[in-house]
Amino acid sequence: MAAAFGGWLCAQEAAPPAEAPVLDEVKLIAQRAALAHLGGEKPFILRESSWSGEIEPGMAKLIQVQLFKRNDYHFWLAVPDRRGEVDVALYDGKGERVEGTRFQYESPNIASFAASAEETGLYYLRISLLDTVEKPQRWTVVYAYR
Amino acid sequence: MKRSLLSAFVLAAATAAYAQEAPARIDLNDPNLMVVDSSVIPIPLEIFSSLDKLGTQDWSRQVESREIRLDANRSRTAMLFGLVVSDGFIAVQAQDKEAVRRIGREVLRLATSLGVANSVEQHANAIVNAAGQGDWSICRKELDKTRQTVLNKMAELRDDELVGLVSLGGWLGGTQALAAVLKQNYSVEGSDLLNQPELVKQLKSDFSTLPDRAKRGKVFGQISQTLDHLESLMRTDASGAISKGKVIEISLSTANLVDAIYEI
Repeated sequence: MAAAFGGWLCAQEAAPPAEAPVLDEVKLIAQRAALAHLGGEKPFILRESSWSGEIEPGMAKLIQVQLFKRNDYHFWLAVPDRRGEVDVALYDGKGERVEGTRFQYESPNIASFAASAEETGLYYLRISLLDTVEKPQRWTVVYAYR
Repeated sequence: MKRSLLSAFVLAAATAAYAQEAPARIDLNDPNLMVVDSSVIPIPLEIFSSLDKLGTQDWSRQVESREIRLDANRSRTAMLFGLVVSDGFIAVQAQDKEAVRRIGREVLRLATSLGVANSVEQHANAIVNAAGQGDWSICRKELDKTRQTVLNKMAELRDDELVGLVSLGGWLGGTQALAAVLKQNYSVEGSDLLNQPELVKQLKSDFSTLPDRAKRGKVFGQISQTLDHLESLMRTDASGAISKGKVIEISLSTANLVDAIYEI
């Protein structure tokens, strides 16, 4: 049961150590995509924490996330296979999609979404992988706030 | 990373149409939804950032210098570690150089007691150095890295219960500071930052599943009671606010628990 506690607090730690390098590599892809948004007049502040796991082609998953009103948030999703097309969207506590800005990158295995939190509370991040690849993909989500 | 490489990487970044339209609405009660069984605890600065948008707050009053007395109870040390990192975030917000330097040294001492000093030393030193130069951006980054490095290291060592307690301590410290600031400078708009019922519910549920060996000591009984109490307090009313009375109660409850963790 202790593992459940650790799992809630940081998904990446729930994985067996043997898989950690693969997960870290995917996290690096996501972090690298985030870099361009961490400067300028209103820079985002990137968190070190992340969510990770595995997703089947054609499937979607939800991540629960506590957001705070007046903050802007930016989420980056990455999978290792450059052919794996991913998408990320945000929903409020009632299941309504939150308006925001989607970003596309050089290859479709990275996607990001930025939005402002209209209310403080629990939100749901929906991540999905199209069936442009055959094999399940390791995924990582990192996020930043400002 | 070199600038040219970075530019090349994000060249294609743009707001654009996307291949698969996400549905406009999802039924959160759909039993077929696959919800990731994990989450990330917000760090105090994330919350303080929102509050500061309503006007400058006096964070310096929340910077405390407490004597940390360690005992053989590693669970308590893990909670103290979380609390001290949280104090570090508060001191960064208050831009208190001396406090951040002191906290950087305490972080290393606690990490040593938890057996993860080697992984943390570089970050702790970076915190102390950056504080000396007043580089708050680096301090903030290194504090978050310290926290995450300890969590990763503990998970690697299969110390899962300690992972949870570090994060619980961090959340508690940040919530105490937030409630104290709101108590002094109450606003309806700011009060909604304490609207975290689902987070408290999850923390409470996870804490209750910890093995008994990780909950030895009188303070651990108080944690369950306090989380129960906070779950009922930390939710907005119909007007979208948390009343001043509730904010005061949250402040008292969290402060009492923090005091109990520091006491031997």
